[in-house]
Parts: sequence; C-alpha cells; structure tokens
Amino acid sequence: MWMSVEVNGHIYEREVTEHWTLLRFLREDLELTGTKDGCSAGECGACTVMLNGEAVNACMVLAAEADGATVETIEAEAAKGELSEIQAAFARNYAVQCGYCTAGMVMSVRELLRHNPKPTVAEIKEGIEGNLCRCTGYQQIIEAVLDVSGQITNETRGGLKYV
Amino acid sequence: MNDLFKYRAPTSRAELFSLLAAHGEGARILAGGTDLLVDIRSGLVRPELVINLKKVEDFSELTWSQSEGLIIGPATTVNDVLHDAKVRDCYPLLADCALTIASHQLRNRATVIGNIAHASPGADMAPGLLCLGARVQIASQRGRREVPLKDFFTGVKRTVLSHDEIVEAITVPPGTAGSRGSYRKLKRIDGHDLALVGVAVTSKDGAVRVGIGSAAPTPLLIEGLTDADPADAVVAAAREAIRPISDLRCSKEYREYMIEVFVRRLLEEVR
Repeated sequence: MWMSVEVNGHIYEREVTEHWTLLRFLREDLELTGTKDGCSAGECGACTVMLNGEAVNACMVLAAEADGATVETIEAEAAKGELSEIQAAFARNYAVQCGYCTAGMVMSVRELLRHNPKPTVAEIKEGIEGNLCRCTGYQQIIEAVLDVSGQITNETRGGLKYV
Repeated sequence: MNDLFKYRAPTSRAELFSLLAAHGEGARILAGGTDLLVDIRSGLVRPELVINLKKVEDFSELTWSQSEGLIIGPATTVNDVLHDAKVRDCYPLLADCALTIASHQLRNRATVIGNIAHASPGADMAPGLLCLGARVQIASQRGRREVPLKDFFTGVKRTVLSHDEIVEAITVPPGTAGSRGSYRKLKRIDGHDLALVGVAVTSKDGAVRVGIGSAAPTPLLIEGLTDADPADAVVAAAREAIRPISDLRCSKEYREYMIEVFVRRLLEEVR
C-alpha cells in the first residue's frame, strides 16, 4: 500500500508491506532502530512510540494504520547533540542500566508530562505501567520523572522509598 | 506478522459492509488491534483481509443525551471512555472497568466495542456494561438489529454476530445513569494482567445487579435482586450462576471464594 506518514517531523511517502507492524516499518524500513522490539505482544512497552500524540505499542499497530498520521520516536528526543530534559533526568537519576526499556519509558513519560506536568508518584506509576524494566527496578525511573517535573531537589534525590 | 494478509481502510459504512459481505469468514475487523494482532501473530487466526474500521466516518463517536443515553462507537477507545467527563459523571462504573484494562499504551488503542466483540470471558468492560443494561447495535448490508448485551455472548470468544455483521454501537440507557456501584478485578500483579475474576455490583432504585467476568464461558449478569435481599442471598445467586474453571491463572475454588468476597464487599459499598 502507498502511504504517507510524518515521522519526527519528516514526511515519508512510500510503499508499505500491508502486514508489517509500525515497529517493523520504523526499524527496518526507516532504520530508526532506537525503538526496541521486546515481546511483540503489547506486554513490555519497549516499542512505545507516539502516534498522533498518544503513546502506543508500535508492535500492536499496523504500519498501514499510520497512513496520514504523525509519529514521534525516541530519535526525536535529543536535538543538536543535546539530550532532552527527560533523557537528562534519566541519566542524572541512574534510571538506566541495560537501556533496553529506556526508549519506551522515555516516550511514555513524554506523553504523561504533556497531559500532566507535575504527576504524583501514583500517576507516574500509572503512566509507566505498560513499560517493563528488568534491571534497575522502577524507583530511579520514578525519581527521574519527579526530577524532570521539578519535584525533587539535590537534598531529596536518592532518598525516596516509593516502590 | 508471520502471515500475509491484505489491508483495507474503508471510509464509509457502505464500503465497510460490502467488504464484509464479499469476504465473509476470510475478513477480520481491525479496531484497536490489541487482540487481533496478537491472535494473527500466534497463528490463531489467519485472515485473508484485515479491515480497519477506524477511518469510517463518525465511528469514534462517544455521545450522551437524555433521551438516548450513552452511545459508544466502534472506534471509541478505552481511554476515551476513561477520560470522558459525562461517563465519569453518569456511569462512573464504566471508568472503573476501563482503568483496569491492560496498560496505558494499550488503552490508547483498545476499543470498548472490541473488548466486548472479542467476547473473552474475562472482558473487563462486560461486567459494568451488563449491570448498566447496555444494548448492542448490530449492522450489516442486510440491515440493523439490536440485542441486549446479556444475550450477545454465546460462548468463549463467540457471539451472535454473523461474519458480515459489525457492532455499530453499544448504547447504555439513560435509565441506569447515576447507578451506584464499582468494579473489582483480581489480578496477580498490580499492573497489567488479565482478570482472575472481575465483579461489578450496581444499585439503582432498589434494584441490585451483579456482573461477573472470568467465571463462566461468557460474562454473566445476575438480575432480579433488590436492596432488601440479604448479602447471603446475593452470594447464593452468584454461586448458582457461575461455572468457573481452573486454568493457568488460578484454581476454580479460588475463583469461587474471591467472587463471594468481592460480592460482599461491593454490596456493602452500594448499600
């Protein structure tokens, strides 16, 4: 199928294989491999991208469904060699170990903060409930979100016992 | 995806209905895709044609009126319902059910009608919609018909729908707006999991209704109870209706026990 999709501000017009997922299209056709393939079943959230401004699992969307849509991926976060504020907060709070879940986590946090600039811990947990992390535990990730939303100081960093 | 299929995204009802009529069993409806794509990937279904209905005009509608009640369209997502002010105001039970479904990302895609039409015994929207007296509006090239939700399910992942039909809307009557009640879902973890059991109880104008999921081949509705019935009688009615099984998530006995616990707790809440 011939389709047109805006990904990270660039318009791509091309033939797409009708049974491909959006995840496969992003990774194999556009070579945007920052979005990760974890479970391929909507369970782990590693492939989270923004479709028309909403966080979705790219493995659960057909590429063809993105015809006419706007997609944002992790590649849109850092600009001109600078980390985005969410990425910088993840780094500052040691919210990354192996990094496989991070791209998806950052995208879920991006959507959360768009709707809710100062989320509570409970709201952060709800916002990232679809993203599995098997290394760091979730505390540092929650702290990173509190940090980027201006709810943590150097004095309170690392002192939170939420999870 | 392992299997090849063709994809179409009709923009009108006429085009959608004629595709369904022409392809019969070979066609599958893609709404949120959160069940369909998993089933295709695992080889459970092998459609020749996948029909995306989200582009059909006004299929994303979610409206409320005093005369019609709530109308939920085929492309209305679970998060649309969860965040809708009118739903939270008139049918807070539906927001309760919606919040328990999967994860935020999946709720952004999954549709309410898909949750019902997929007819999983554990469909989280079903107990609430059953208690609220929802009706299913079915349409095809041959015409339209309406079925009460309690008569829609015929077995595990089976419904009264023919291959050429779709659920064009689910309507929730205005009469049950303002029902008191909530939904309890038992899960193995706090996050994203399927229900071990799910129970909804409502009370409105003296009538008590109980909706139960993951306890029989189809979601169940228990009617004919009143506020005057003692809790033991409501529990007895629930026990009579359920047919739970043991599976990989838990045993039949645990399901029976927890349904009783939830029915008692929810009854206390609504009384």
